[in-house]
Amino acid sequence: MIGNDIVDLALAKKESNWKRTGFLEKIFTSKEQVLISNSENPEIMVWNLWSRKEAAYKIYNRQTGIRGYIPIQLECNYENADSGSVHCNGNIYYTKTEITKEKISTIAVSQKSDLKEIKELKSTVEIHKKNGIPYINDINNASKPVSISHHGRFISRVSIID
Amino acid sequence: MNREETLEQLKEIIKPYTNNELAFDNFTADTDFIADLNINSANLVDIILDVEDAFKIHIDNESMEKMLDVKSTLEIIETKLSEK
Ligand SMILES: CC(C)(COP(=O)(O)OP(=O)(O)OC[C@H]1O[C@@H](n2cnc3c(N)ncnc32)[C@H](O)[C@@H]1OP(=O)(O)O)[C@@H](O)C(=O)NCCC(=O)NCCS
Repeated sequence: MIGNDIVDLALAKKESNWKRTGFLEKIFTSKEQVLISNSENPEIMVWNLWSRKEAAYKIYNRQTGIRGYIPIQLECNYENADSGSVHCNGNIYYTKTEITKEKISTIAVSQKSDLKEIKELKSTVEIHKKNGIPYINDINNASKPVSISHHGRFISRVSIID
Repeated sequence: MNREETLEQLKEIIKPYTNNELAFDNFTADTDFIADLNINSANLVDIILDVEDAFKIHIDNESMEKMLDVKSTLEIIETKLSEK
Protein backbone atom coordinates (compact mmCIF):
# COMPACT_ATOMS: atom_id res chain seq x y z
CA MET A 1 0.00 0.00 0.00
CA ILE A 2 0.99 3.57 -0.57
CA GLY A 3 0.64 7.03 0.91
CA ASN A 4 2.18 10.37 -0.02
CA ASP A 5 2.34 13.95 1.15
CA ILE A 6 3.60 17.23 -0.26
CA VAL A 7 4.45 20.41 1.61
CA ASP A 8 4.81 23.63 -0.36
CA LEU A 9 7.38 25.36 1.84
CA ALA A 10 6.31 28.89 0.87
CA LEU A 11 2.68 28.15 1.68
CA ALA A 12 3.60 26.35 4.91
CA LYS A 13 5.47 29.47 6.01
CA LYS A 14 2.35 31.51 5.35
CA GLU A 15 -0.19 29.11 6.85
CA SER A 16 1.62 27.81 9.91
CA ASN A 17 3.65 29.28 12.70
CA TRP A 18 5.45 26.19 13.99
CA LYS A 19 7.15 28.34 16.64
CA ARG A 20 3.82 28.99 18.29
CA THR A 21 3.74 27.88 21.95
CA GLY A 22 2.42 24.33 22.21
CA PHE A 23 2.52 23.62 18.47
CA LEU A 24 5.43 21.18 18.38
CA GLU A 25 4.31 19.40 21.58
CA LYS A 26 0.92 18.58 20.04
CA ILE A 27 2.41 16.98 16.93
CA PHE A 28 5.80 15.57 17.77
CA THR A 29 7.04 12.98 20.28
CA SER A 30 9.81 14.10 22.61
CA LYS A 31 12.31 12.18 20.48
CA GLU A 32 11.17 14.06 17.37
CA GLN A 33 11.30 17.37 19.22
CA VAL A 34 14.95 16.69 20.02
CA LEU A 35 15.61 16.04 16.31
CA ILE A 36 14.00 19.37 15.49
CA SER A 37 15.84 21.43 18.08
CA ASN A 38 19.19 19.84 17.18
CA SER A 39 18.66 20.38 13.50
CA GLU A 40 20.59 23.00 11.54
CA ASN A 41 17.36 23.98 9.86
CA PRO A 42 14.51 23.29 12.31
CA GLU A 43 11.83 24.47 9.90
CA ILE A 44 12.84 21.92 7.26
CA MET A 45 12.94 19.21 9.93
CA VAL A 46 9.43 20.13 11.09
CA TRP A 47 7.98 19.70 7.59
CA ASN A 48 10.14 16.70 6.81
CA LEU A 49 8.79 14.79 9.84
CA TRP A 50 5.30 16.13 9.25
CA SER A 51 5.17 14.90 5.64
CA ARG A 52 6.33 11.43 6.78
CA LYS A 53 3.53 11.28 9.32
CA GLU A 54 0.90 12.38 6.82
CA ALA A 55 2.10 9.93 4.14
CA ALA A 56 2.12 7.06 6.67
CA TYR A 57 -1.28 8.08 8.00
CA LYS A 58 -2.77 7.64 4.53
CA ILE A 59 -1.74 3.96 4.54
CA TYR A 60 -2.89 3.48 8.13
CA ASN A 61 -6.24 5.06 7.23
CA ARG A 62 -6.70 2.76 4.23
CA GLN A 63 -5.61 -0.36 6.14
CA THR A 64 -7.69 0.15 9.25
CA GLY A 65 -10.53 2.39 8.08
CA ILE A 66 -9.75 4.51 11.13
CA ARG A 67 -9.96 8.28 10.79
CA GLY A 68 -8.40 10.38 13.50
CA TYR A 69 -6.04 13.17 14.28
CA ILE A 70 -3.17 11.11 15.67
CA PRO A 71 0.15 12.88 15.04
CA ILE A 72 1.76 11.59 18.25
CA GLN A 73 0.81 7.97 17.48
CA LEU A 74 2.66 8.22 14.17
CA GLU A 75 6.24 7.93 15.41
CA CYS A 76 9.07 8.73 13.05
CA ASN A 77 12.18 6.65 13.07
CA TYR A 78 14.50 9.09 11.33
CA GLU A 79 17.47 7.48 9.57
CA ASN A 80 18.55 10.46 7.52
CA ALA A 81 17.07 13.41 5.64
CA ASP A 82 15.56 11.19 2.98
CA SER A 83 14.80 7.86 4.56
CA GLY A 84 13.31 6.24 7.61
CA SER A 85 10.14 4.61 8.85
CA VAL A 86 6.99 5.57 10.69
CA HIS A 87 5.49 3.34 13.38
CA CYS A 88 1.84 3.45 14.25
CA ASN A 89 0.11 1.11 16.71
CA GLY A 90 2.23 -1.87 15.72
CA ASN A 91 2.37 -1.11 11.99
CA ILE A 92 5.54 -0.04 10.17
CA TYR A 93 5.64 2.15 7.08
CA TYR A 94 8.83 2.87 5.15
CA THR A 95 9.40 6.37 3.85
CA LYS A 96 11.37 8.15 1.18
CA THR A 97 11.57 11.93 1.33
CA GLU A 98 12.70 14.43 -1.26
CA ILE A 99 13.67 17.95 -0.25
CA THR A 100 14.11 20.85 -2.64
CA LYS A 101 14.12 24.62 -2.06
CA GLU A 102 10.42 24.76 -2.87
CA LYS A 103 8.93 21.64 -1.40
CA ILE A 104 9.22 18.51 0.69
CA SER A 105 7.53 15.35 -0.50
CA THR A 106 7.36 11.96 1.15
CA ILE A 107 6.18 8.61 -0.12
CA ALA A 108 5.33 5.86 2.37
CA VAL A 109 4.86 2.17 1.61
CA SER A 110 3.96 -0.85 3.72
CA GLN A 111 6.48 -3.08 1.97
CA LYS A 112 10.00 -1.70 1.89
CA SER A 113 10.95 -3.02 -1.57
CA ASP A 114 8.08 -1.01 -3.06
CA LEU A 115 10.01 2.20 -2.45
CA LYS A 116 11.89 1.44 -5.66
CA GLU A 117 8.68 0.79 -7.57
CA ILE A 118 6.84 4.10 -7.39
CA LYS A 119 5.32 5.81 -10.37
CA GLU A 120 3.69 9.18 -10.82
CA LEU A 121 0.30 8.84 -12.53
CA LYS A 122 -0.32 10.58 -15.84
CA SER A 123 -2.81 13.40 -15.56
CA THR A 124 -5.20 11.48 -17.81
CA VAL A 125 -5.54 8.55 -15.40
CA GLU A 126 -8.97 8.50 -13.83
CA ILE A 127 -9.07 8.17 -10.06
CA HIS A 128 -12.09 6.90 -8.14
CA LYS A 129 -12.83 7.16 -4.45
CA LYS A 130 -14.37 4.91 -1.89
CA ASN A 131 -15.09 6.52 1.48
CA GLY A 132 -12.80 9.34 0.41
CA ILE A 133 -9.89 6.98 -0.28
CA PRO A 134 -8.57 7.03 -3.85
CA TYR A 135 -7.93 4.05 -6.14
CA ILE A 136 -7.68 3.25 -9.85
CA ASN A 137 -8.99 0.30 -11.85
CA ASP A 138 -6.09 -1.58 -13.40
CA ILE A 139 -6.15 -3.50 -16.71
CA ASN A 140 -7.80 -6.50 -15.05
CA ASN A 141 -10.37 -4.18 -13.56
CA ALA A 142 -9.06 -4.85 -10.08
CA SER A 143 -8.90 -1.83 -7.82
CA LYS A 144 -5.46 -0.59 -7.00
CA PRO A 145 -4.50 1.89 -4.26
CA VAL A 146 -3.22 5.31 -5.27
CA SER A 147 -2.32 8.27 -3.12
CA ILE A 148 -2.91 11.94 -3.85
CA SER A 149 -1.45 15.01 -2.22
CA HIS A 150 -1.68 18.66 -3.09
CA HIS A 151 -0.44 21.74 -1.33
CA GLY A 152 -0.02 25.21 -2.79
CA ARG A 153 1.72 25.02 -6.14
CA PHE A 154 2.22 21.26 -6.12
CA ILE A 155 0.30 18.06 -6.70
CA SER A 156 1.41 14.46 -6.80
CA ARG A 157 -0.57 11.31 -7.61
CA VAL A 158 1.34 8.09 -7.12
CA SER A 159 0.95 4.32 -7.20
CA ILE A 160 3.14 1.22 -7.04
CA ILE A 161 4.26 -0.26 -10.37
CA ASP A 162 2.62 -3.66 -11.11
CA MET B 1 -22.28 28.66 28.45
CA ASN B 2 -24.96 26.90 26.40
CA ARG B 3 -24.37 24.91 23.24
CA GLU B 4 -25.34 27.78 20.93
CA GLU B 5 -22.76 30.08 22.51
CA THR B 6 -20.06 27.44 22.41
CA LEU B 7 -20.84 26.79 18.75
CA GLU B 8 -20.63 30.51 17.93
CA GLN B 9 -17.30 30.85 19.69
CA LEU B 10 -15.96 27.77 17.93
CA LYS B 11 -17.10 29.16 14.59
CA GLU B 12 -15.11 32.36 15.21
CA ILE B 13 -12.02 30.28 16.02
CA ILE B 14 -12.31 28.20 12.87
CA LYS B 15 -13.04 31.04 10.46
CA PRO B 16 -9.47 32.13 9.65
CA TYR B 17 -8.39 28.56 8.79
CA THR B 18 -11.25 27.80 6.42
CA ASN B 19 -10.62 27.29 2.74
CA ASN B 20 -14.23 26.91 1.68
CA GLU B 21 -16.37 29.99 2.27
CA LEU B 22 -19.56 28.38 1.03
CA ALA B 23 -19.33 25.46 3.45
CA PHE B 24 -18.42 27.86 6.24
CA ASP B 25 -21.63 29.81 5.66
CA ASN B 26 -23.52 26.55 6.23
CA PHE B 27 -21.59 25.77 9.41
CA THR B 28 -23.45 23.18 11.54
CA ALA B 29 -22.59 20.52 14.11
CA ASP B 30 -22.14 18.06 11.23
CA THR B 31 -19.48 20.12 9.46
CA ASP B 32 -16.23 18.22 8.93
CA PHE B 33 -13.04 20.30 9.21
CA ILE B 34 -11.19 18.54 6.43
CA ALA B 35 -13.87 17.15 4.12
CA ASP B 36 -16.16 20.22 4.24
CA LEU B 37 -14.07 23.24 5.23
CA ASN B 38 -10.95 22.03 3.45
CA ILE B 39 -8.83 22.95 6.44
CA ASN B 40 -5.18 22.05 6.11
CA SER B 41 -4.32 19.34 8.62
CA ALA B 42 -1.43 21.38 10.04
CA ASN B 43 -3.94 24.09 10.92
CA LEU B 44 -5.92 21.58 13.01
CA VAL B 45 -3.21 22.07 15.61
CA ASP B 46 -3.87 25.81 15.57
CA ILE B 47 -7.57 25.20 16.08
CA ILE B 48 -6.83 22.93 19.03
CA LEU B 49 -4.45 25.50 20.57
CA ASP B 50 -6.97 28.31 19.97
CA VAL B 51 -9.72 26.24 21.61
CA GLU B 52 -7.47 25.63 24.62
CA ASP B 53 -6.80 29.36 24.96
CA ALA B 54 -10.36 30.52 24.39
CA PHE B 55 -12.03 28.07 26.76
CA LYS B 56 -9.09 27.78 29.18
CA ILE B 57 -9.05 23.99 28.97
CA HIS B 58 -6.40 21.38 28.26
CA ILE B 59 -6.94 19.02 25.34
CA ASP B 60 -5.11 15.73 25.80
CA ASN B 61 -3.96 13.59 22.88
CA GLU B 62 -6.83 11.17 23.29
CA SER B 63 -9.41 13.94 22.88
CA MET B 64 -7.44 15.48 20.03
CA GLU B 65 -7.85 12.26 18.03
CA LYS B 66 -11.54 12.94 17.56
CA MET B 67 -11.33 16.63 16.74
CA LEU B 68 -12.01 16.32 13.03
CA ASP B 69 -15.52 17.72 13.02
CA VAL B 70 -17.62 20.32 14.80
CA LYS B 71 -19.77 17.86 16.74
CA SER B 72 -16.89 15.96 18.38
CA THR B 73 -15.09 19.22 19.10
CA LEU B 74 -18.17 20.64 20.84
CA GLU B 75 -18.51 17.48 22.91
CA ILE B 76 -14.89 17.64 23.96
CA ILE B 77 -15.14 21.32 24.91
CA GLU B 78 -18.27 20.63 26.96
CA THR B 79 -16.74 17.64 28.73
CA LYS B 80 -13.58 19.58 29.57
CA LEU B 81 -15.57 22.60 30.78
CA SER B 82 -17.71 20.39 33.03
CA GLU B 83 -14.57 18.87 34.58
CA LYS B 84 -13.22 22.29 35.57
C1 LIG C 1 -6.33 12.80 5.03
C2 LIG C 1 -5.21 13.76 5.27
C3 LIG C 1 -3.93 12.99 5.61
C4 LIG C 1 -5.02 14.65 4.03
O1 LIG C 1 -3.93 15.50 4.15
P1 LIG C 1 -3.90 17.01 3.67
O2 LIG C 1 -2.52 17.49 3.95
O3 LIG C 1 -5.03 17.75 4.28
O4 LIG C 1 -4.16 17.01 2.10
P2 LIG C 1 -3.42 16.21 0.92
O5 LIG C 1 -3.58 17.02 -0.30
O6 LIG C 1 -2.08 15.76 1.27
O7 LIG C 1 -4.35 14.95 0.80
C5 LIG C 1 -5.62 15.04 0.24
C6 LIG C 1 -5.81 13.89 -0.73
O8 LIG C 1 -5.56 12.69 -0.05
C7 LIG C 1 -6.36 11.69 -0.63
N1 LIG C 1 -6.55 10.69 0.41
C8 LIG C 1 -7.39 10.73 1.46
N2 LIG C 1 -7.25 9.61 2.20
C9 LIG C 1 -6.28 8.89 1.61
C10 LIG C 1 -5.69 7.63 1.91
N3 LIG C 1 -6.05 6.92 2.98
N4 LIG C 1 -4.72 7.17 1.09
C11 LIG C 1 -4.33 7.88 0.01
N5 LIG C 1 -4.83 9.09 -0.33
C12 LIG C 1 -5.81 9.57 0.47
C13 LIG C 1 -7.63 12.38 -1.06
O9 LIG C 1 -8.10 11.80 -2.22
C14 LIG C 1 -7.21 13.82 -1.27
O10 LIG C 1 -7.10 14.17 -2.62
P3 LIG C 1 -8.29 14.93 -3.41
O11 LIG C 1 -8.67 16.09 -2.56
O12 LIG C 1 -7.73 15.28 -4.72
O13 LIG C 1 -9.34 13.90 -3.50
C15 LIG C 1 -5.49 14.72 6.43
O14 LIG C 1 -6.47 15.56 6.07
C16 LIG C 1 -5.86 14.11 7.73
O15 LIG C 1 -6.96 13.63 7.97
N6 LIG C 1 -4.93 14.15 8.64
C17 LIG C 1 -5.11 13.64 9.95
C18 LIG C 1 -4.15 12.56 10.16
C19 LIG C 1 -3.09 12.91 11.10
O16 LIG C 1 -3.14 12.63 12.28
N7 LIG C 1 -2.10 13.57 10.63
C20 LIG C 1 -1.08 13.99 11.50
C21 LIG C 1 0.15 13.97 10.79
S1 LIG C 1 1.29 14.94 11.65
